[in-house]
Amino acid sequence: MKICCCIKQVPGTTEVKINPETNTLVREGVETQINPFDLYALEEAVRVKERMTAAGDPSTVTVISMGPPQAEDALREAISLGADDAILLSDRAFAGSDTWCTSYVLAMAVKKLQPELVICGMQAIDGDTGQVGPGIAIHANYAQASYVAEIQEIDAKKLAAKRLIEEGYEFCEVKLPAVLTVVKEINEPRTPSLRGKMAAKKAEIIKWGAAEIEAPAEKVGLLGSPTQVVKIMTPPCREGGEKYEGETSIIVEKLFDVLSCMEVV
Amino acid sequence: MPENLIQNITNNHTDYLSDESRRFGTARSISFPKSEAEVIQVIKDIRSQGETITTQGARTGIVAGAVPFGGHILNLSQMNAIGEITPDEASGEHRITVEPGATLDEIRAKIAPTSLFFPPDPTETTATIGGMTACNASGAKTYFYGSTRNWITSLRAVLADGDTLTLKRGENFAQGRHFSLTTEQGQTIAGPLPSYEQPKVKTAAGYYVADNMDIIDLFIGMEGTLGVITEIELRLIPRPKSIQALTVFLPNEDSAIKLVRALRGEGSVAIEFFNSDALDLLRHIKTESSAFENIPALKDSFNTAIYTEFHGESDDDLEAAVMRVMEAATALGGSDEDTWYATTDREMEPLKAFRHAIPEAVNLIIAERKKTCPEITKLGTDMAVLDDQLETSLAMYDHGLQQSGLQSVIFGHIGNNHLHVNILPRSMEEYEQGKALYLSWAQLIVALGGSASAEHGIGKIKAPFLQLMYGDKGIAQMRALRKLFDPKTTLNPGNLF
Ligand SMILES: Cc1cc2nc3c(=O)[nH]c(=O)nc-3n(C[C@H](O)[C@H](O)[C@H](O)COP(=O)(O)OP(=O)(O)OC[C@H]3O[C@@H](n4cnc5c(N)ncnc54)[C@H](O)[C@@H]3O)c2cc1C
Ligand SMILES: Cc1cc2nc3c(=O)[nH]c(=O)nc-3n(C[C@H](O)[C@H](O)[C@H](O)COP(=O)(O)OP(=O)(O)OC[C@H]3O[C@@H](n4cnc5c(N)ncnc54)[C@H](O)[C@@H]3O)c2cc1C
Repeated sequence: MKICCCIKQVPGTTEVKINPETNTLVREGVETQINPFDLYALEEAVRVKERMTAAGDPSTVTVISMGPPQAEDALREAISLGADDAILLSDRAFAGSDTWCTSYVLAMAVKKLQPELVICGMQAIDGDTGQVGPGIAIHANYAQASYVAEIQEIDAKKLAAKRLIEEGYEFCEVKLPAVLTVVKEINEPRTPSLRGKMAAKKAEIIKWGAAEIEAPAEKVGLLGSPTQVVKIMTPPCREGGEKYEGETSIIVEKLFDVLSCMEVV
Repeated sequence: MPENLIQNITNNHTDYLSDESRRFGTARSISFPKSEAEVIQVIKDIRSQGETITTQGARTGIVAGAVPFGGHILNLSQMNAIGEITPDEASGEHRITVEPGATLDEIRAKIAPTSLFFPPDPTETTATIGGMTACNASGAKTYFYGSTRNWITSLRAVLADGDTLTLKRGENFAQGRHFSLTTEQGQTIAGPLPSYEQPKVKTAAGYYVADNMDIIDLFIGMEGTLGVITEIELRLIPRPKSIQALTVFLPNEDSAIKLVRALRGEGSVAIEFFNSDALDLLRHIKTESSAFENIPALKDSFNTAIYTEFHGESDDDLEAAVMRVMEAATALGGSDEDTWYATTDREMEPLKAFRHAIPEAVNLIIAERKKTCPEITKLGTDMAVLDDQLETSLAMYDHGLQQSGLQSVIFGHIGNNHLHVNILPRSMEEYEQGKALYLSWAQLIVALGGSASAEHGIGKIKAPFLQLMYGDKGIAQMRALRKLFDPKTTLNPGNLF
């Protein structure tokens, strides 16, 4: 089975800064990491590979990331965690892509690779939309299951998934090829092994631009993005409310007075 | 004297009656001096009342050294200024002067923005530098960098009568086993040093003595019995450009020991060991407590683990050593797939989490057992042996534990032949049984030329071990030395002997 895993390189901290002039993330000098949710996606991809291989179907995991050249670091790290090869989708033309475009570009790579299974994280900790996984499925015309908490069964044609939903779990059968997005409880990512890290060091990262995935210029980047960021602002900090301290009966009375003045009670 | 410098003990001070040994003492008063002048004032005042003084840092000690035996508690946690980092022309290194209450965490934070490095690394990073100096704390990297002692170039101390001393490394040496020093107030203190030979292993038991020793070393590891340390100057060196770590999993203990032997020539800065019971304990605790979620998953086939760390100038330099280690490990049943490898700070985190989780898991289980049997504590050994006794000591532990059926884990600083056996008693009966076992090991280890306390010190709990190591004569000599500095045993009564 051919399995793809989509990973995004995100800032290493949650203290991201926005450039007020360009309305984009300040990425310079910021430590990066693999989007934490994608580590679960990758681990699941590697486990499916191991499971299928053990069952007599020699399988591989290809990691894909769309991003700037330094996203190569994230791809190497993914190899140290068990991926076999890695593709970096990088092209000036991709700059400014919104989630529609990001999904489109990733889907074009998926179409070229034709994997039976694509696994994504639940969401990226910076963009936070959770749209890219389902977007890939639509653009590539794959089936999809989001928020997967367990792959219960899998064979060459279909899989049985347990999905996390607000009220509990939903069980569904998904025909392959399919895109899954996974939640944290699906597994426990492994620690990089010496074998993995050495493989990562030697690995050749394949680089594809718009031409290689046959994505027309008008469909990618700023040009292809139906949405534009007009303005980004930091919401003002909430002003602290009033705090009453002292004897309970007295402050309760005071609170009652205040609330009656406001005609709340 | 600022008002309220000396306060009576109230219910708010209960925490200060104890330390991480979980033993409780008593006291009448407490102070939190903020300067050396205040320390002197407190000491003079308390002494004039004929009371004793127990010095405290962060109370992370596990041998009850900071637990008061009545009298006054001199708590230095608020005397914690950290000076500027300055270059030292003569050595090409850097220096930093700190007050005793500064914690290791605070000192590391001060150094973090620079490219410098302070190697001492006791696991408990909330310890104060005063406590680390008084106990000569050590850690995993002591294997290569030595204990806290190696990183102290100068210190100041206040003696029991309020006199002060500055001890600078390289300035005052004993003549054979006779020392002499003069306080800043002009008082000369001189006399014989104990005549015993310290075991040639890592040790934190009793006074450090050697022929022609530098007198600063007498004050490092004295557990607060000779004076109160009020200022310490530390050595800082350039931080290694490349740091890499490996946790190798092996199929049995025997291969692990063989790997340790192979590692000794490879320039590791740390070599640590975790036996199969320790791994099983982690597997168990991970399913029981969400606090242990971060510990990496352990395959069922993992039996014994060896952690090692390399420091060097470049990744390429270190990789060659890493490869040689892997070759040795492979021959012993390990594999590159079953070896965790970290080359960045972030990758280092799960390896650290794994190492630190073992004592934490032990403490958690003991805390749980205390609910039904409050008298129980963990029984933690802290003994080091000579290089050629490593196998003997481990076989002794394994045999004793197997015979007794006690629950236990073995882990620690195997590079220094210094393993911690932690016994987790389930009942008072097991507790007594464990204590007897522990004592029998201590006797054997001392007979083999080892130390019964390699890093945690003697404090109040391990005093019988000091007796075991140095006998009546050694204790009498130590007592005489202490009397030269503190004739009325005002400072830290009950510590050491
Ligand atoms: C309106 C709008 C305008 C934007 N404009 C810009 C812009 O001008 N410049 C700019 O840099 N960004 C821009 N972005 C951000 C960028 O589009 C998103 O970061 C990107 O689409 C991923 O979305 P997300 O972060 O919400 O990921 P999610 O949808 O939350 O991610 C879910 C999963 O999809 C996969 N995934 C997501 N992104 C990638 C990726 N790049 N490679 C591989 N797999 C991935 C991962 O598996 C991830 O766990 C814009 C976003 C929006 C909503
Ligand atoms: C989870 C855990 C892990 C640990 N790991 C290690 C380890 O890896 N290596 C290790 O060596 N230790 C370890 N310890 C023990 C402890 O952290 C060290 O002994 C530490 O050096 C104590 O520092 P402290 O500031 O807490 O001192 P305290 O516990 O407050 O005092 C310890 C002793 O030093 C004396 N003292 C403190 N400050 C001064 C001063 N300024 N002048 C004179 N005497 C003073 C006290 O009187 C007492 O006798 C560990 C403890 C815990 C709880």
